[in-house]
Amino acid sequence: MEKRLIKKEALAGIAKRIAEDVTVYAPVRVEENVLFKVLEKGEEPLFTYQNSKNAPKNFFFPRSEVMLRYTRTPKGVEFTAEELFARDGVLMGARPCDARSFVLLDMLFDQEKYKDPYYIEKRNRTTVVSLACAKPPYRECFCTSVGGHPVDDKGADVLITDIGDVFLVEFVTPKGEKLLKYFGDQKADAASEEKKAAVAAAAEAALTWKIATHEVKEKLDRNFNSPFWDGIHKKCLACGTCTFLCPTCHCFDISDEMKYDDGRRLRNWDSCMFPLFTKETSGHNPRPTQKERWRQRVMHKFSYYPENFGAIACVGCGRCVQSCPVNIDIRKIVAEAMELA
Amino acid sequence: MENIEKKMREEARRLLEEKRVDVLIGYEAGTLPLTATPCFITAPEEAERLVWNRFCNHNLAKYVHDVISQHRNSQKRVKPEDRKKKVVGVVARGCTTRSIVIHLQERQYGRDEVVIIGVPCTGYADRRKVSQALGGEAVLEGALEGDVIRAVTEGGEKKIAVADVLADNCRTCRFNNPIISDVMAGEAAPPMNPEAEYDEVTAFENLPIEERWAYFVKEMGKCIRCYACRQACPSCYCPVCFVEQSRPAWVGISDDPSDTQVFQIMRLYHMVGRCVDCGSCVSVCPMGVDLRKFLKKLDKDAFELFQNRAGSSLEDLPPLSRHRENDNEDFIYHPEIGGHNT
Repeated sequence: MEKRLIKKEALAGIAKRIAEDVTVYAPVRVEENVLFKVLEKGEEPLFTYQNSKNAPKNFFFPRSEVMLRYTRTPKGVEFTAEELFARDGVLMGARPCDARSFVLLDMLFDQEKYKDPYYIEKRNRTTVVSLACAKPPYRECFCTSVGGHPVDDKGADVLITDIGDVFLVEFVTPKGEKLLKYFGDQKADAASEEKKAAVAAAAEAALTWKIATHEVKEKLDRNFNSPFWDGIHKKCLACGTCTFLCPTCHCFDISDEMKYDDGRRLRNWDSCMFPLFTKETSGHNPRPTQKERWRQRVMHKFSYYPENFGAIACVGCGRCVQSCPVNIDIRKIVAEAMELA
Repeated sequence: MENIEKKMREEARRLLEEKRVDVLIGYEAGTLPLTATPCFITAPEEAERLVWNRFCNHNLAKYVHDVISQHRNSQKRVKPEDRKKKVVGVVARGCTTRSIVIHLQERQYGRDEVVIIGVPCTGYADRRKVSQALGGEAVLEGALEGDVIRAVTEGGEKKIAVADVLADNCRTCRFNNPIISDVMAGEAAPPMNPEAEYDEVTAFENLPIEERWAYFVKEMGKCIRCYACRQACPSCYCPVCFVEQSRPAWVGISDDPSDTQVFQIMRLYHMVGRCVDCGSCVSVCPMGVDLRKFLKKLDKDAFELFQNRAGSSLEDLPPLSRHRENDNEDFIYHPEIGGHNT
């Protein structure tokens, strides 16, 4: 594996240089929020942030995406396949939790049996440059509890770690190595590896919230009808903040929009918190109240996903904990579920 | 504030002991430092969980409406003689009681279905302002000491005066004491600064129309359509929101900017004479959209054109719920001379 050292202040410049050649998605301060967005000319990327408000899943699985277009003609309806949105890109500065979320999303969108060309095309053409969390704890996050690590390269093509005075840049995959030319030629020595190991150990130790979430599946499966579910949702506003900011939530809803004779079929993010979620044409909804919808959210992440793909569908980024308007804390729910019989 | 909290807990306990309420909605400490969160208690001993402090920011009237309407729906299939009434107790500050007044005026439930523990209010801390005062650093530990917030972050300990981080709606609040209540937890609080209530809106009104439109477009551009604003709003209680209707579909569900703007404009206009400026929509918005600027403009119009302040008295019906022959209508035919800035 190629490893380089760069000056810390050089990273923003590198991002901007890459942006001259391909599309760069990077964290940028927009008013009070740090958001992942396409880095425009003259914009300054921010690499000292804790974590962004929005998850970068948007670049592979957009909030709204046209799947096909159609036109009503006297001869019938004509369909046009939407050209796959395709441009080479580099996602700069994703936190390891977010990088790991792509591994989890790949399990669903890029399965042996079902392949989602819209997602896969974008994913394949994007290189993920991850920025390790050298300095937790952030009050809300808990990656080590769900199989992640603050200095983790899963899902990353390049991993950058702050090892004190410089950044250690590791080119994890061949895709990542294609970016070598932007990162100078100072090779990393053995000492920097040791420093990285120390940073990783300190970061892991600093994470305060720890629970064996992989053990909760069994409890959840046994308690599908438990009164446990009667309490969680009460204060829930039924807004989509948690699911829309979540890096792993991926439920979508397909709808048609028509204007005169022209229509488009759109795939939009859905949210299990919304009353329309899984509502059927007949008007029946198998998840009629917020109680069932909350059970779905928890089960999907901690039971169904492990069952289908062998991994918890949560990376512990803490966005839902931080941004839930009424402080519904998924960590508390899991901890309480662990107490069930 | 400690005294108010103590009194509030006593009253809550008593209401539950005497079975005067079936459920009591209040605030409890959140799982993160410097937060409070809505809670529902049904047993007298749970009253100790209740808190009253500067982080209690939600307008709990939203939950009063939810609980009662859900209960009423559940009673629909019960024989009329077997139907049970559910009485909801609620911890309510000025704005919360204004929302309850609106619910009562709009006949959402009866006065006998809600028991109000009124709390005098001196404003809540805006979590965004707290975060800004801390330079965006995560709060590791925090506590409230009188009117000072003490927060420990990576960078060390910082002290912030509550007065510096009060929510905008609290700063100029006109009704910080409950409009109606069944029991009061404390003496009336001193007034805030209502004279400045419309200063910001007036300044905004005086901007050229292009600038106002550009500001609207910019703010709505932040919206991710999570609907937290609508969900948190006590006045947004339609059983089915126009956004969720599909025959016809009034507004598209994609992230098209015009759909977002249409959603927001339509929601805003449903708030004429019904917004109590509790700040809930602003405080829940994950993206920090400035909804208040536009809501406050509608509030100002309702006052200037119809002399109504939403929910400020049970007798004064909201402009959209009453008819008066001498209602101001010039603005319909002659918007340019209608007596308000166009």
